[in-house]
Amino acid sequence: MKNITLGQYIPLDSFFHKLDPRSKICAMMAILIAIFVPAGFIGYAILAVVLVACILLAKLQISFVIKAMKPMVMMMFFLTIINVFVIKTGNLLWTLGPITIYDDALKQTGYIVVRLALMIMTTTLLTATTKPMDMTLGIEDLLSPLEKLHVPTHDIAMMIALALRFIPTLIDEAERILKAQASRGVDFENGSLKEKISAIMSLIVPMFVSCFQRADDLADAMEARGYVVGAKRVRYKILKFTTGDYAVIIIANLLLAGMIFLAVRGTV
Amino acid sequence: MPLRFEKVDFEYSPGTPFAFQALKNIDLELAEGKMTAIIGATGSGKTTMVQHLNALLLPSKGTVNVLDFQITAGKKFTEVKKLRHQVGLVFQFAEYQLFEETILKDVCFGPLNFGVAEKDAETIARRCLKTVGIDPADYDKSPLELSGGQKRRVAIAGILAMRPKVLVLDEPTAGLDPQGAQTMMELFRKINKEEGITVLVVTHNMEHVLEFCDEVVVLEKGELLMQTDIRTFFENYEYMEKANINPPAIIRFKELLRKNGMEISSDVLDIEALASAIAGRRVR
Repeated sequence: MKNITLGQYIPLDSFFHKLDPRSKICAMMAILIAIFVPAGFIGYAILAVVLVACILLAKLQISFVIKAMKPMVMMMFFLTIINVFVIKTGNLLWTLGPITIYDDALKQTGYIVVRLALMIMTTTLLTATTKPMDMTLGIEDLLSPLEKLHVPTHDIAMMIALALRFIPTLIDEAERILKAQASRGVDFENGSLKEKISAIMSLIVPMFVSCFQRADDLADAMEARGYVVGAKRVRYKILKFTTGDYAVIIIANLLLAGMIFLAVRGTV
Repeated sequence: MPLRFEKVDFEYSPGTPFAFQALKNIDLELAEGKMTAIIGATGSGKTTMVQHLNALLLPSKGTVNVLDFQITAGKKFTEVKKLRHQVGLVFQFAEYQLFEETILKDVCFGPLNFGVAEKDAETIARRCLKTVGIDPADYDKSPLELSGGQKRRVAIAGILAMRPKVLVLDEPTAGLDPQGAQTMMELFRKINKEEGITVLVVTHNMEHVLEFCDEVVVLEKGELLMQTDIRTFFENYEYMEKANINPPAIIRFKELLRKNGMEISSDVLDIEALASAIAGRRVR
């Protein structure tokens, strides 16, 4: 279970790790929008080159990013199949009885797969270089204008922070219970449906019990240290923009502008 | 067949930035029928080591021999279930593994998984619950209604009910009251003596090591530091001080006596023997 790489923070020391989370989130938004601008394969090639350069600059291994894409492979596969058989425009490429394949279908599928891959690269770059706690601080700051509309931005950020904080703890816990039940003879891989359900129950029930227990303890611990919901709180960590942050936002927005330019030129 | 580790290495998350070598070149043989304590600071690899004994972790290098089973790094180990039937592992804070509706059912869970008939499983479960001291009136209660200490006992009964030949306990008394911890250790010693079950116990409590165990295995940073019988172990006072081990009260007392000129034989390891040793001196 420790092999889940999607969304995992990798503690390294790089230019990207030192950036302000807010600038990283803004830059990621711009790039994500850029990915959905229909700028053709030239545009995607430019984005891909920039993203790979960023990944290397963040000292991440390409293999790590590829591993993060693994869970999406099935999705890409199904999208490919559906697209290839559903889209019926463009030039006819191939016919076999009732099955026909058009070149637009292949092009569209290519776009979707490339877009997904680029999206995963972008988001992995953000999550791998930003500590979950910094991320929530960033989100809280970026959401702060909504406070005027009485949106409880701090509470939302706190909830995200707590949820993120407990993911590794719960994975450890699940692993421990899994092992404990395995040594009592539970086989989580083989067996009939009934045995499988009983195996899963032996994991889920203790997990539920301990989650509620933890939530209770955590609430008490927070109250004991003076946490009041909705009260004004000061920050321990002050986020600060540096030249690098401005540079990243500007570059990301230039990329977005470039993609829009390519798209407009393509349609004209 | 003894339990034997041959040049065992174990690495967590190999090939990632989180790679961590938890065991380094462990060479170790544990005789059958003994009660052995495994001690070492937190993070020294105790838990990692004992999890190799029922193939929850497979060695990265080397071979682990348990009873008639051989687990070799890189080779597929196919007899997992048979092995787990014979090696019972009680985890740290074992009370978290309870999940059935009633205590009795939870204890039956292990034996049923290993193919014991329902009726026999229940008989065994009742016996084991009695052994660990749970009131028969509670057998039909939900495990969640019990106190922490009682839950721990039920969890241990759940392992005993599998009737293992080797019983591995990972800090079985952590967080229990001293009296409860004492009774629990007495129970393990009794099982060890009466049924000839090999018992391995990971512990930080030196009083328990002295009172109940035959042998001591010391781990440090994933390496085997020493393996010896308890008498030799507790003789070496300077070593314990250096390794930051808090010696049992009686050993500390003997050390004080020695410093003040009263040498007591290393065979003397309990209060009564010590008292008569001191008394004997005075008469002389």
